[in-house]
Amino acid sequence: MIDWIAFLTVAAATLIAAVVIVGLYALGVRLYAVSVDDSVPSTRVARAAAYACFAVCAVGVLYGVYLIVPAFHS
Amino acid sequence: MVVLVVALALFFDFTNGFHDTANAMATPIATGAIKPKTAVALAAVLNLVGAFLSTEVAKTISGGLIREGSGGVAITPELIFAGLLGAVLWNMVTWLLGLPSSSSHALFGGLVGAAIVGIGFESINPTVLLSKILLPAVLAPLIAGCVAYLCTRLAYAITRRTDPDSGDKLVQKRGGFRYGQVFSSSLVALAHGTNDAQKTMGIVTLVLISAGLQTGGTGPELWVITACALAIALGTYVGGWRIIRTLGSGLTDVKPAQGFAAETSTAAAILASSHLGFALSTTHVASGSVVGSGLGRRGSTVRWRAIGKIALAWLFTLPAAAVVGGLAAFIARFGPVGVTIDAIVGLTAIVWIFVLSQRERVDHSNAISEVAAVGGAVRIPSKKERRRLEARARKTAAREAKVVRLQKKAADREAAELQARNAPEQPSAPSPAPAGTRTGATAVDGAAGRPNKQGDR
Repeated sequence: MIDWIAFLTVAAATLIAAVVIVGLYALGVRLYAVSVDDSVPSTRVARAAAYACFAVCAVGVLYGVYLIVPAFHS
Repeated sequence: MVVLVVALALFFDFTNGFHDTANAMATPIATGAIKPKTAVALAAVLNLVGAFLSTEVAKTISGGLIREGSGGVAITPELIFAGLLGAVLWNMVTWLLGLPSSSSHALFGGLVGAAIVGIGFESINPTVLLSKILLPAVLAPLIAGCVAYLCTRLAYAITRRTDPDSGDKLVQKRGGFRYGQVFSSSLVALAHGTNDAQKTMGIVTLVLISAGLQTGGTGPELWVITACALAIALGTYVGGWRIIRTLGSGLTDVKPAQGFAAETSTAAAILASSHLGFALSTTHVASGSVVGSGLGRRGSTVRWRAIGKIALAWLFTLPAAAVVGGLAAFIARFGPVGVTIDAIVGLTAIVWIFVLSQRERVDHSNAISEVAAVGGAVRIPSKKERRRLEARARKTAAREAKVVRLQKKAADREAAELQARNAPEQPSAPSPAPAGTRTGATAVDGAAGRPNKQGDR
């Protein structure tokens, strides 16, 4: 019948991947918004952290491309 | 016969392309992250690239659904032709209605119907039908919807900015999600290209092998890959604007953060499913994500009626395509004459649907209504902001009224003085009149100035 293990694996992988990427990107957006605020003193740190978040997201996207292209991993 | 099947297969690829543009590009178009035409062009290029990238073709196109090969049944080009006809017609009908339905389901449905009529019920593997097609159709939108819901909540929770002192909402600055959408939707388009173009390649190769033009067990030839890639890219570029409209603004109003969450969920689900071995349909995943993200944002409306219509379309996809495929297979039994009748009837139906579609054109200019587009560009102040704006406007109005009053008083005094001074020499002095008009003009200026300033803000 239906392969429930495979289904649960897919569901878990989807959830983890999406939550991590969206969470990081949202954090990046938030930190970037903080970094352009005038009132907060540590804008430099916030901006660097925002860029770090975006970079991790970019790595996630590249990993997606890596998964899509079979030539890379088979 | 082979030429006919290949042509029809390529046309199916084309319809697949424009049916599925929406999966990747509906949400970025809806939020204004990418301009409509740029979006479909991007999707087309990515589909083209994706089709070439993956040479790991699904060798058994039916995935064991139809017991083919040695010991099973021989599937003939006629049956494939009939199956494709069913799939193409159902794709056209759902496109006309603007419903996102799975192209793979239509293809499977058509082939199943053709196989049942042409060979009999024993040619179908019901367990595979249930476990590979029917259940995933229910589970795919569920997974994607739940994940997109959680992601949307998460994205909004993280980016919610309030003033620590007063608790007032600060400017939220969620525009950054627009840039993210470009990448997330591109990933979906690329994944789609590697998946869906392969189906047609598999079919064409199957036909070539069954006709004895290609030795069995070999992969698709280069011209087949090229033709399929071009067909799907062209279809994507033409764009199923009706379906884009449904997904982009028909189900819920998509905001950038929601769009990003939905697309990331879609991409994650597709990639996970194709690499961990539980096939999910791109269309089902994408639709589920959009609905999930709609439920995730507070204050967004989800149109359940539209969702019901789509669910109904999904329910009917397999049987409807199967009926058409079966009918076509039945006619095709009468040899070349039957196939010719099939081809003519199919072509007529396609042309007819196209003519029907011209009655109400939907293209890049009106796929997402202008109201929605403007809504993305203009920031509508929240209730609290509106109240604050109102208070400020009232204050300015009061101040302005005071100024006007003072001016009027001053002008009156001036006029009175002037009159008093001029009275002895020139009894019929015109001075009060200009003074009066000046006061009037100031008053009008003040009145007109208020709404203007308010509008600027």
